[in-house]
Amino acid sequence: MKKKSAALAVLAAVMVSSAAVGSAWAYFTTYAQAGGGYAIRLGDETSIHEEFSNWTKRITITSQEGSQPVYVRALAFCGSAYALDYSSGSGKWTLQEDGYYHYSDILEAGQTTDELLVRISGVPETVEDGENFNVAVVYETTPVCYGEDGTPYENWEQKVTQKSAEGGE
Amino acid sequence: MKKVREFLASPAVTLAAFAAAVVLLLTASIGGARAALAYYSETYSTRVQMYDIGVTLQENGKSVSWRNYDANAADGSWDDSTGILLSQMVPEGENFKIGKKYTEELNVKNTGTIGQYVRVSVYRYWMDADGNKLPQLSPEFIGLDLAGEDSGWLVDEAASTPERTVLYYNKLLESGSESPLFANSLTVSPRAAEEVTQESTTQDGYTTIRTTYDYNGAQFHVEAKVDAVQEHNAQDAIWSAWGRKVTVNNGSLSLD
Repeated sequence: MKKKSAALAVLAAVMVSSAAVGSAWAYFTTYAQAGGGYAIRLGDETSIHEEFSNWTKRITITSQEGSQPVYVRALAFCGSAYALDYSSGSGKWTLQEDGYYHYSDILEAGQTTDELLVRISGVPETVEDGENFNVAVVYETTPVCYGEDGTPYENWEQKVTQKSAEGGE
Repeated sequence: MKKVREFLASPAVTLAAFAAAVVLLLTASIGGARAALAYYSETYSTRVQMYDIGVTLQENGKSVSWRNYDANAADGSWDDSTGILLSQMVPEGENFKIGKKYTEELNVKNTGTIGQYVRVSVYRYWMDADGNKLPQLSPEFIGLDLAGEDSGWLVDEAASTPERTVLYYNKLLESGSESPLFANSLTVSPRAAEEVTQESTTQDGYTTIRTTYDYNGAQFHVEAKVDAVQEHNAQDAIWSAWGRKVTVNNGSLSLD
C-alpha cells in the first residue's frame, strides 16, 4: 500500500513537471484578421415607349428598377419611299459614326430618356386605302464600363462568354 | 536591611518608581522616533520588462483588426478586435464600379513590445447572398494588387492557390514599426461582366433563350489574416507555430 502511494506521488510530480515543460517550449504568437466585400449587380431590363402623331414618332426608353447603368442608342427604319428626320428637344440624342442616335447620358435604374423625335417626311397629302406606313425602331443598350480612374465609357463591341444550360420544353 | 525594605515599601518610593517608569517609557519612544528619522534605506527602483506580443492589420493607414497581449492587465488578457475590410472603399451614395481601381492599402504594424516576424494570408473568393462560397466563380477576377518582392514581401508559392496567397515579410518587424504595404489597390475585372449562361426553352413551338450573368448578385470577398511570431529563436518558432521551414539570418528571413 505504501509503495502504491509513493508511485502515485511520483506520477503526480512528473505530471506537474511535464506541464511546466510544455509551457517552456511554447512560443509567443498572435494573429489578426479581417474580411469584407461587395455584391455586384449585372444585367438590365429596359423597355421602349412610342407615341405616333402628326407623322412623328416620339420615342422614350426606360430602365427598370434594379438594372445596372446602361448606355442607349436607337435607329428607325422605313421604306425607301419616305425619309426620316431625327430631332431631340433636349439635344441629348446625337448621330454617331455607327449610324445610330446615341443618348448622351447614362441611363440609371428607374430613369427614362428624353424624347427622340422621328418624323416621316415626304408623305403624300392624300393617302390611298391599303397603303402602309411601317416605321420600325430598333434600340440597343450596353452596360456602362469604367476605366481604372472610374471614368465611364461606352463599349458597343463588348462580347460575352456563353455557357449553355439545359432547358425544358 | 530592614530599613531598606521599609524605604522601598514607602509610598513615596513607589510613586517615584512609577514616575521614573513613565519617563523611561516616554524617552524610549522618543529615542525610537529619532532612530527612525536618523536611518532610512536608500531608494531602489526596479523595472520589469514584459514580453508582450501584439499585431495589428491596417487598412489605408487605419487599424482594422488587432490582437495584443497585455501582461499588465489584472488577468493577463488579450486586447483584440476584429474589423471589416473594404467598408470605406466605395463613397457613400455610389455603387461599386466594375473595372475601377479602388485604393486598398494594407500593411501590418507591430503593436507588441517585442520584435516579431510576420506573414499574411490573403483570400479572395465569391459568395452568394446567404454567405455561401461560390467556388465555380473565378477568384482571379478579384484583382487585389499585391506588393512585389522588392517591397520585402515574399510569396510562398508552395502554399498559394488561386484563392489564397501567402506572403512572408523578409525582415524583422521591430516593436512599434510598420511593414511596407502588401496590397495597394483592388479592381474587379470587367471580364466578370462578360460571363453569361444561356438557357433555351421551347414551348408551343417557340424557343425562348434566356441569358443570365453568372456573376450577377455575387459578392466578392477579400480576407486578410496576419500571423506574428516572436523574434527570439524565430526559425524554430516559425517551424513550430506555422509549419514552414525558413532561414533567419541577421534579422533577414528567407523561405527554404
